[in-house]
Amino acid sequence: MFHNSSQGKFWIFKSEDEVEQKRYKANQKVRNKIIESGKPGVSESKLLEHHEEDVLFRHYEKRMLDFCNAFKPVMPKSVVGTAIMYFRRFYLNNSIMEHHPRIIMLTCAYLSCKVDEFNVSSTQFVGNLLQETPAGQERVLEQILEYELLLIQQLKFHLVVHNPYRPMEGLLIDLKTRFPTLENPESLRKNADDFLTQAAMTDAGLLFPPSQIALTAILNSASRAGLSMESYLNECLGLKEDKETLSKMYESMSRMKTLKKYELPKAEEVNAYKKKLDRIHAEFSSSSNKRKRGYEEDGHVAKEARLTEEQEWTDEDLV
Amino acid sequence: MDDQGCPRCKTTKYRNPSLKLMVNVCGHTLCENCVEMLFARGSGNCVQCDTPLRKSNFRVQLFEDPTVDKEVEIRKKVLKIYNKRDFDFPSLRDYNDFLEKVEDVVYNLTNNIDVENTKLRMEQYQRENRDLIQRNKVKLTREQEDLEELLLLEQQGNDQRRLELLQEEQRQLQTKRKNKQALLDELEQSQLPATILLAQHKVRAANLETQIEQQKQVVKPTNLFSTGIHMRQTVSLQPVPKIEEVLYLYKPLRVETYGPSVPELEHLGRLGYLNHVRAAMPQDTAGGYTSALACHRAVQDAFSGMFLLKR
Repeated sequence: MFHNSSQGKFWIFKSEDEVEQKRYKANQKVRNKIIESGKPGVSESKLLEHHEEDVLFRHYEKRMLDFCNAFKPVMPKSVVGTAIMYFRRFYLNNSIMEHHPRIIMLTCAYLSCKVDEFNVSSTQFVGNLLQETPAGQERVLEQILEYELLLIQQLKFHLVVHNPYRPMEGLLIDLKTRFPTLENPESLRKNADDFLTQAAMTDAGLLFPPSQIALTAILNSASRAGLSMESYLNECLGLKEDKETLSKMYESMSRMKTLKKYELPKAEEVNAYKKKLDRIHAEFSSSSNKRKRGYEEDGHVAKEARLTEEQEWTDEDLV
Repeated sequence: MDDQGCPRCKTTKYRNPSLKLMVNVCGHTLCENCVEMLFARGSGNCVQCDTPLRKSNFRVQLFEDPTVDKEVEIRKKVLKIYNKRDFDFPSLRDYNDFLEKVEDVVYNLTNNIDVENTKLRMEQYQRENRDLIQRNKVKLTREQEDLEELLLLEQQGNDQRRLELLQEEQRQLQTKRKNKQALLDELEQSQLPATILLAQHKVRAANLETQIEQQKQVVKPTNLFSTGIHMRQTVSLQPVPKIEEVLYLYKPLRVETYGPSVPELEHLGRLGYLNHVRAAMPQDTAGGYTSALACHRAVQDAFSGMFLLKR
């Protein structure tokens, strides 16, 4: 249950500002680290600003969503939701300059398949990278496994994610049972689903309990259809006596609706920043290469070969 | 397993059950007859390894494997020299190293590895630690004596008690016999009717029995264990004091869900919730699944944390 989950304790934040602040700090930390490392050619202008990171973050989030939606066999919604949540949680405390999002996003999806009991084998998983040759898929798989533990660690081992999808089912059941005034609750489903899909791409999951998100989805869908749900809140959820909670609920619902909507970043921005990012990873990044060394333990030659291979593999051929 | 036998005359235990095998310091076996014959002059060489041996050093073979006998003999000798004990060393580690060294020496001598050097080492050790060896030897003997004394004392105590018991029994037997004799005498001489006399006798006999019983109980319980530890010294036979504990009180678990209350799993059907979920297939129910479970979970999830506001 959500009320005593790690999600409720550690991964629900007070305000959007707090979340933004965390991302900003993560960005600053890596910037400082790279500048202090004093590698040749390091300069402020070559590094990514926070808002530039944000653009790339949104870009890769969309890519991950596309990958998940095109996945064969069809991925259940909760798996996709969990993967997106992992991705957001990870880059709350990490910068994309340190860990490249194209591998992190695959690792998130891979891990969420495992955690959410969506059983695909690892070869089957990378088999969904349609543009890759079998050898390339093998290489990606290796990288995924390499990053998996880092990801789990950065998620602070809190792997269970409570998605709003089941709460929505529960609410629909409850509506059908206790709120016969509403003639056809199923008609709300379509719009509510859309709302949840949109909400998944915002920070809603980091700010509100899943049940609230689901309720907002339902109420939103109802108001679009011109239906009033006030009496449901009052009578069935027992908020008649508790005006304070009710008003707070309304407040938080309206906040949820005003959350920054997901906007697809502009292609030219993405391309510019991506080039920047790739240069940062190729020239300044220390951690990823180090990790590779520990993982491979091959000779020097093999490592060199790996690096060039790595550069060949861009995310253009992902989906 | 082939039978044990004398390597010289080829007699085996099977053919001669009274065969006595002997072992000398070199670890080779000979039967008693062969020993008598070969070592008639008191000394000679081993048939198998040509080691010069004395007749007086022959021992009856106790173990099936003669090398074990040999090792026992050697160990006895080595330990006479290497007789340091754990408190002669500053640390346990040193003591263990010492023991390891002793084992090495014994092993070498038993298996004829590097015998000359080992013997030299032993001699050197003996020279270096002459004082300590002597002292420990004395100490060991004293301890041995103490132990023997203790055993002797115990033995004496046992004898004493047995004697007392025997005397007591004798006495009782005598009293009984006397009693019977008295009855016969009285029957012979008294004017009273026999039935009364008999009854009297019965009472007396019963008294006697109880007396004996009492005496038996009175028999002083020893206050020493055979190990010499005083009884009732440290052992308390009193029952362990009972600790009064407050009884466990069941308190129903209350979980704060920060949301509307969820109907109980059992009531879902009555409240009509189950009309709105997919009914469970017969093959699902085999594993204990019911549609109420999924329904309950969904409703719980829907309400959990609904009113939780972090602000």
